[in-house]
Amino acid sequence: MPARKNAKSIYEDINKIVANPVRQIKRLKSRAVKIIGWVPTDVPEELIHAAGALPIGIVALDGPAVSRSTPHMQDWSCSLMRCALGMALDGSFDLLNGLIIPVICDTTRMITGIWKQTKPYVFMDNFLLPKQIDRPSAKDYLMGEMGRLKARLEQFMDRTITVSELCASIVLYNHNRSMMRKLFSFHVCHPELLGNRDIYNIIKASMLMPKELHTNMIAELLQLLEKKVDDNKTGENNYTVRLLLSGKVWEPPVIMNILDDLGVVSVGDDFCTGYRYIANDVPETGEPLKSLAVRQFNRLPIAAFAGKSGDRTNSIIKMVGETRADGVLFVHLKYCEPENYDYPMLRDDLSASGIPNFRIETEIGAAPTEKIFLQIKDFTEKLGGTVNG
Amino acid sequence: MVKSPSFKTTILFKKLMAEYYERGVASREKGIPIAWVTATFPVEIIYAAGLFPYYPENFGARIAARKVAGKISTAAEKQGYFPDLCAYARCSIGDAFSVEHPVGEILRPDVVFCSNAQCGTLQKWFEAAGRYYQVPFFLVDTPLIESTPTTLIKRYIVEQLHELLDFLELYTGDTFDFSRLAEVISLSNEACRLWSEILDMAALKPAPLGYFDACYHLAPIVALRGTKWAVDYYRELKNELEERLDNKVYVIPDEKYKLYFDHIPVWPRLRWFSDLLMEKKALAVASQYTHAWAWRFDLKRPLESLVKNYTEVFINRGYEYRIEQKISLMKEFNVDGFILFSNRSCKPKALGLYDKYHIISDRTGLPGVFFEADMSDERYFNEEHIKELFEDFFDRLEQKSS
Repeated sequence: MPARKNAKSIYEDINKIVANPVRQIKRLKSRAVKIIGWVPTDVPEELIHAAGALPIGIVALDGPAVSRSTPHMQDWSCSLMRCALGMALDGSFDLLNGLIIPVICDTTRMITGIWKQTKPYVFMDNFLLPKQIDRPSAKDYLMGEMGRLKARLEQFMDRTITVSELCASIVLYNHNRSMMRKLFSFHVCHPELLGNRDIYNIIKASMLMPKELHTNMIAELLQLLEKKVDDNKTGENNYTVRLLLSGKVWEPPVIMNILDDLGVVSVGDDFCTGYRYIANDVPETGEPLKSLAVRQFNRLPIAAFAGKSGDRTNSIIKMVGETRADGVLFVHLKYCEPENYDYPMLRDDLSASGIPNFRIETEIGAAPTEKIFLQIKDFTEKLGGTVNG
Repeated sequence: MVKSPSFKTTILFKKLMAEYYERGVASREKGIPIAWVTATFPVEIIYAAGLFPYYPENFGARIAARKVAGKISTAAEKQGYFPDLCAYARCSIGDAFSVEHPVGEILRPDVVFCSNAQCGTLQKWFEAAGRYYQVPFFLVDTPLIESTPTTLIKRYIVEQLHELLDFLELYTGDTFDFSRLAEVISLSNEACRLWSEILDMAALKPAPLGYFDACYHLAPIVALRGTKWAVDYYRELKNELEERLDNKVYVIPDEKYKLYFDHIPVWPRLRWFSDLLMEKKALAVASQYTHAWAWRFDLKRPLESLVKNYTEVFINRGYEYRIEQKISLMKEFNVDGFILFSNRSCKPKALGLYDKYHIISDRTGLPGVFFEADMSDERYFNEEHIKELFEDFFDRLEQKSS
């Protein structure tokens, strides 16, 4: 692998991928692979990879595309799904061979039918995750659902997924997650070298490119960054506030730039497109389908799943302690029902535990950047941090 | 609904539902646990276990019909619950934080049971209730059935019902009584059969009842299914309807059009819609909503049969299945047009309707109308705009029939 000159060029490559997912899909398509898209969250990409296809997350969004979905979806539904459908309708995903939509809320439950009607792909699948996660039935069912998806992928790809192939994919994905965790830790220690927007772009890019390439890229980046620390070339660290972020996705991305501008470092999150995506691995021993299910049940709790083991309040309070966060910033998409049901009690529980918290509401395609900036600035100032801007 | 005051059973209805709520309060005093349940939860198991099932959705509908949903919702909104959430949930939460209780106070649960077959909202609402009241929350998770029910899903839910029985045995300290379950299911079957026969009468032209009447008389099949009270009530209602037919008493004697209404009504506007249609001699006669309770249970395989009925309910089905079921009801009731209601409180029903409107129009050739509102909250009801939409619809209906 030829060595790159500097970290900046790696960031630029990553940023290009995230900024233009359509071009990225075109590039990947030229490698003559089948590409299967997945809608966030919790689709077992390892299965798609083991089937010989390339999984691509529908995660890099083009805000103006939201309006394309207007004839098909109510404007009082989640803008994440409206934008995804809008991009499909404007042809952004025409090169996909298939699409997997996990049913994690009422909007994802309903969008498959609309999508199939308005923009069908050869292969489309509803991945039906169990919503209760405490009881044995959930474990049996998820194993069965993983098996069902595997069989459908095998049929579509006209090949069998062997145990060794699936195990190899698991190892590949684990390695990538592990490298990203290292990079995330580096970001928390040295946000002046690896800011919020950069690390979150890196996580998002991992959903848009072959894992092998991504792992190599970030391994090299980590090496370059660590060398800067070793050489005492870190520069001035203006990050004075540590926040834990919570929500479904970090959209619109400008939020991360705002945090960087204000000198706020994200020390963790439960975003489906953030730290939660890389937080835990698939066990590499045992039956691989079972291992995939084990990872699912061990993932950081989100609003979609119910159960004591997925208690989100405890999870967030624990993360605040572990990351020594000064507070929690909720980043909620307007009309996201699961988050909106969780929020009032989460807010009160965190406040009762002495954890400052604040909620901003965002909407893809209609981002009031100035308002968000002022809200976050106000919140961080109250935390006692000397914020920039 | 419109002619309901003249229904003798209306008096019985009020008495029946008042007694139901009184029984709830009395149950608490006697130490019988109050179990919150959702409309498509296998309530027969709860009855058989000796708990008192209570339906917060029914509470939400009563608040809505009393036209105070906006006011009660405000109390929830003050706590941070957003106005875009389901109005039933907002009213239930709002009542818990309210000093005033215009339809009586919501019955505090001792345990919360939920099926998410209808929606994910119920899962989140009931989960929040479990936390707020600090009581156990039991979810029967019901994955979407996109086309044909799979063995995997059926097996998953049967397994969950066994877990539910285990939970109940621990909770009550009693062995679950399967013979009692069979009795309760028999009562459900009888009430559902009568309900189905009552709904069928709307196919007659002129009809002795319509969809809005069915909405009015719906509460017992939802909240009292599995009891003798529901069976007696629907037997009375059916007798009265037969009597009306004998005496040639109809909702609209010179009924001109039959319409399909999808799906739940705008509760505070039942009469408004009924009158709007009646002016044009149009009667709404069928809906997936009212037909959802026309269940048939198999006593030989009770758990499997509960799973089949409560899982395969229309709202847990895929896009194409639902379109075909709507069209099938339209054919069965020989309708002249259709009404689609995009309900802000119900994404599993509303999302997809934009395209379904065109698909149904194409497949049936029938005129239709589509409107946006909320089933409970009149703050989202634009009366003038809806009137205009219906005027245009009636024009097309008349053109088509002339």
